[in-house]
Amino acid sequence: MLIQKASGGVADAFLFRVRKFKSQRMAAYRLVLIRHGESCWNQENRFCGWFDADLSEAGVQEAKRGGQALKDSGFEFDVCYTSVLQRAIRTLWLVLDGIDQMWLPVHRTWRLNERHYGGLTGLNKAETAARHGEAQVKVWRRSYDIPPPPMDAEHDLYSAISQDRRYRDLSKDQLPICESLKDTIARALPFWNEEIVPQIKEGKKVLIAAHGNSLRGIVKHLEDMTDEAIMNLNLPTGIPIVYELDKNLKPIKPMQFLGDEETVRKAMEAVAAQGKAKK
Amino acid sequence: MTTAHRLVIVRHGESSWNQENRFCGWFDADLSEKGLEEARRGGQAIRDAGLKFDICYTSVLKRAIKTLWTILEGTDQMWLPVMRSWRLNERHYGGLTGLNKAETAAKHGEEKVKIWRRSFDIPPPPMDQEHPYYKIISESRRYKGLKEGELPSCESLKDTIARALPFWNEHIVPEIKAGKNVLIAAHGNSLRGIVKHLENMSDAAIMELNLPTGIPIVYELDQDLKPVKPMQFLGDEETVRKAMEAVAAQGKVKK
Repeated sequence: MLIQKASGGVADAFLFRVRKFKSQRMAAYRLVLIRHGESCWNQENRFCGWFDADLSEAGVQEAKRGGQALKDSGFEFDVCYTSVLQRAIRTLWLVLDGIDQMWLPVHRTWRLNERHYGGLTGLNKAETAARHGEAQVKVWRRSYDIPPPPMDAEHDLYSAISQDRRYRDLSKDQLPICESLKDTIARALPFWNEEIVPQIKEGKKVLIAAHGNSLRGIVKHLEDMTDEAIMNLNLPTGIPIVYELDKNLKPIKPMQFLGDEETVRKAMEAVAAQGKAKK
Repeated sequence: MTTAHRLVIVRHGESSWNQENRFCGWFDADLSEKGLEEARRGGQAIRDAGLKFDICYTSVLKRAIKTLWTILEGTDQMWLPVMRSWRLNERHYGGLTGLNKAETAAKHGEEKVKIWRRSFDIPPPPMDQEHPYYKIISESRRYKGLKEGELPSCESLKDTIARALPFWNEHIVPEIKAGKNVLIAAHGNSLRGIVKHLENMSDAAIMELNLPTGIPIVYELDQDLKPVKPMQFLGDEETVRKAMEAVAAQGKVKK
């Protein structure tokens, strides 16, 4: 390319090439997310949140299939992130075992935990409606920033959760007693920005095994989605989600799902249908 | 001397190559079903003793990592931070990697084998590029971060200990001194390095010591990290008794 101080002609041609190249953004980085599968409490349709439920047998199988999908595609990682809840950690372990990369460094953080459902933790759908009324439940379901009632000291799970050793180092301000989706994202993104982004920019291939709502935080941020849009997105479980990012960490194409043809097709259809379903 | 700190170390159990009596070293063999059971029992013993940890260390070999995972799962502490390091790997058996006892004797002669067995500082022959496991081991991505001269092609016990101790001193000791309860899941020879150092044992003495597998080994340390009593084994009465007897008998057996 010959760049000359010129009028018209050469300068225009140069700018045309720059613009064309820009539209063909290259993938500078690749990121893989995986949302854990069915937990024992999912089976019972109970709000889980920060309760440390284990994966059910079905959830274990989902994780194994996710690992298989990554193995089939030959993915190699450099560093992994997960929450301090075992359903995500176990999902990561099963994946690492499946792709023979158990030696990878793993960083666990409460900031990637599932959303804290406060006083609703442990309640199933029927109990929630009975206790709070259908109207209130609808409000919580459709709201981005209205939190559920807090988990107070009388709650059955208060001790098991709020006083657990793993949260010992959290300040009073940091330890939630309930969270809106907005709150969840607000405490997940600092970790993304301070810990994960620098690794990606250093060229490290990152794998994140976490939860529906903490991953929503990352997806919302990556794709610059509205509050409304992210609430309508339910990430598929147990399916590795691949992002190809440019050097500014903007996705160069929509998220891709890894798996056999049928699994991927079903997942894509389910996600596409979400925007249309009225809740 | 009073107990200021507590440390727990676990040597992984039977691997699929142990079953075949092959020198494993840096080959990344998985635990056998039996080795997995050993790890579960180890986890059970820690749970029964009510021990809680703050941080865990292991090698980059899956038989140790899986042992740690099994214990964390069994003690409901999967959320603990885990740090992996090649410096806690098993001793690198160089050219002997993959050979079983008979093959080793056939290839190198009984005399040579005896020398290697009884020597603290004579390494086995190196693993050269023609070795069937050269590529899968020496060129594994997990060793990409090693500096020039750090990646071994073989190790004597002395070499193993020499590369394990810097990790102990730089990473583990500060955590212990900060009051953290540490769990280390590793291999016979890397753990020998830590034990030799803690107990100030001679070269001859550490070569005589075979740590039991799958059994949590508890050290109570004073503020200078000197053990205040002999290592304790955790487990049901019979398991512990057998392990203690096996260790006691080792010094007496002539190899």
